[in-house]
Amino acid sequence: MSDAAPRTPASGPAIVADNLGVRYSLKLTRKQTVRDSLIRRVRREGDTDFWALRNVTFSVANGESVGIIGPNGAGKSTLLQVLAGILTPTEGSVTVSGHISSLLTLGVGFDQDLSGTENIRLAGAFMGMPHRDVEARLESIIEYAELGQFIDAPIKTYSSGMRARLGFAIATSVDPDILLLDEVLATGDAAFREKSKQRVLELVRAAKAIMLVTHDMQWVTEYCNRAILIERGRIEVMGKPEDVVRVHRERMAERKAQAQELGVLQPTARP
Amino acid sequence: MDPPGPREGAALPLRATLRAVTARSEAPASFQSSGVRPGPLELIARGIREVLSRRRLIVYMVRADLKKKGADTLLGNVWWVVDPLLQMLIYSVLVTVVFDRNIDDYGLFVFSAILPWKWFEATVKDGVTSVTNQERLIKQIYFPKLVLPVSAVSAGVVNFTFGLIPLVGLTLVLYPDRMSAWLLLIPVVAAVQFLFSLAVAITIAAINVFYRDIGNLSRHLLRFWFYLSPALYSADLIINSDFAKEHPWVPAVYNLNPWVHLLSSYRNVAYFGAPPDWAGLAAVALASLVLLAGAILLFKRVEPTFAKVL
Repeated sequence: MSDAAPRTPASGPAIVADNLGVRYSLKLTRKQTVRDSLIRRVRREGDTDFWALRNVTFSVANGESVGIIGPNGAGKSTLLQVLAGILTPTEGSVTVSGHISSLLTLGVGFDQDLSGTENIRLAGAFMGMPHRDVEARLESIIEYAELGQFIDAPIKTYSSGMRARLGFAIATSVDPDILLLDEVLATGDAAFREKSKQRVLELVRAAKAIMLVTHDMQWVTEYCNRAILIERGRIEVMGKPEDVVRVHRERMAERKAQAQELGVLQPTARP
Repeated sequence: MDPPGPREGAALPLRATLRAVTARSEAPASFQSSGVRPGPLELIARGIREVLSRRRLIVYMVRADLKKKGADTLLGNVWWVVDPLLQMLIYSVLVTVVFDRNIDDYGLFVFSAILPWKWFEATVKDGVTSVTNQERLIKQIYFPKLVLPVSAVSAGVVNFTFGLIPLVGLTLVLYPDRMSAWLLLIPVVAAVQFLFSLAVAITIAAINVFYRDIGNLSRHLLRFWFYLSPALYSADLIINSDFAKEHPWVPAVYNLNPWVHLLSSYRNVAYFGAPPDWAGLAAVALASLVLLAGAILLFKRVEPTFAKVL
């Protein structure tokens, strides 16, 4: 538990996903009532399954930083959710070796009525951080999030930037072996963005595996050593960031052209 | 109201950095996750382990809950004491004046039942939404969802304990001759109620994820349950009634209600100065343990789908 304790040396890959599949049953859509469920049963509504991910196989070695790109709704976030243990795969398996911190969206778990400090403690407990560790880094989290005297005010009085900064500070304070990031690089003001980028880079350099979902292609080519393109729940291309980004750009352009042809997207707005 | 945050866009110093400390999480360091489901006993054992390993989280959640409940009212936590007293007053007027029933020291008689029932009511109310309210969090990080209903039930313990102040006060001031050492056994009865409430809360929390009707349904069921249980009257009233004499099955069915034994036990120790209904209490405890195992199993079975359904 001491700071000097050596990390277990990296042996084997940090993440292995083997023929991963996640199925959503549309029968279990949100906020359904007994009535809906009965109606559906009576009408014998057929197959309502949807595979958010299918046949996804890859592995991530220690020290790698992998960017996941793809169009909206391709299954990128679902993949991170599976890796974080939030979703259980319907088929296949995922093996994760090391402590994980997921920064999927920042600060959503905050309790609006509690103060910043109380939220740090609560978030730490939710993330499974031992009490001592939370207390030990309370100061540095507050300082890092640049909240000053607002730390004792309820979160509901915070600006969205303050909330995001606090979320980022908490999530990255864990110093995980494996960091999962979902579109979190665009946090707060320009200065904090720069700082958070530095922090992410710090974590990357600490020889831990990172997987991040982003639309920032520049980040992918600059800081990732591998990229995965996901479309419709399948891995389309995997490899060098430059190559994958190029394929993604070409396909996006293709899709745009197709959509314009079909008249879905008008090239110019008509009066 | 809204304090101005540090000016967005203003140049901020970059010197603050996070201290590099090594966090060892209580969450498992490594895991394998696949579609294969473990057996029922393994699931129950896992559920119990999860709750025990996350005690700190439960304490924080209870604290946050209590703080919020007391924060937005003028009298704050004083309401925990005043609330059952006011209810006692209402039922006393209703029963002794309107219905013209004469039960000795009715105030204490009904108070000894209102107090535990209010705890149960709060348990059901908070338990139903305990999982669905944390929808966003559940989709963001992994944590054992069982802690949610468990902390909802635990928060009620604190309220209940505060309610014991007016109970003791009432007895000392108005009914001093009803004071007895049996009152010290209230925690034992409360422990049985805790087990039963836990089973109920875990079950309804899980079902409510899929069917939001539970919230509406439970309100009415609770009301019905309250009147069916010997809270405003004594259980003998039903068991010795003419109706029960004509229908011999009535007492047997009536006794299936765990609240008959719980309320009788509370009333015995607080009002009659007698030992609790030991046999009934033991039966309820045993049944609650079985129900609790079933509830944990149900919860753990459906838990993996929470993040998808919510």
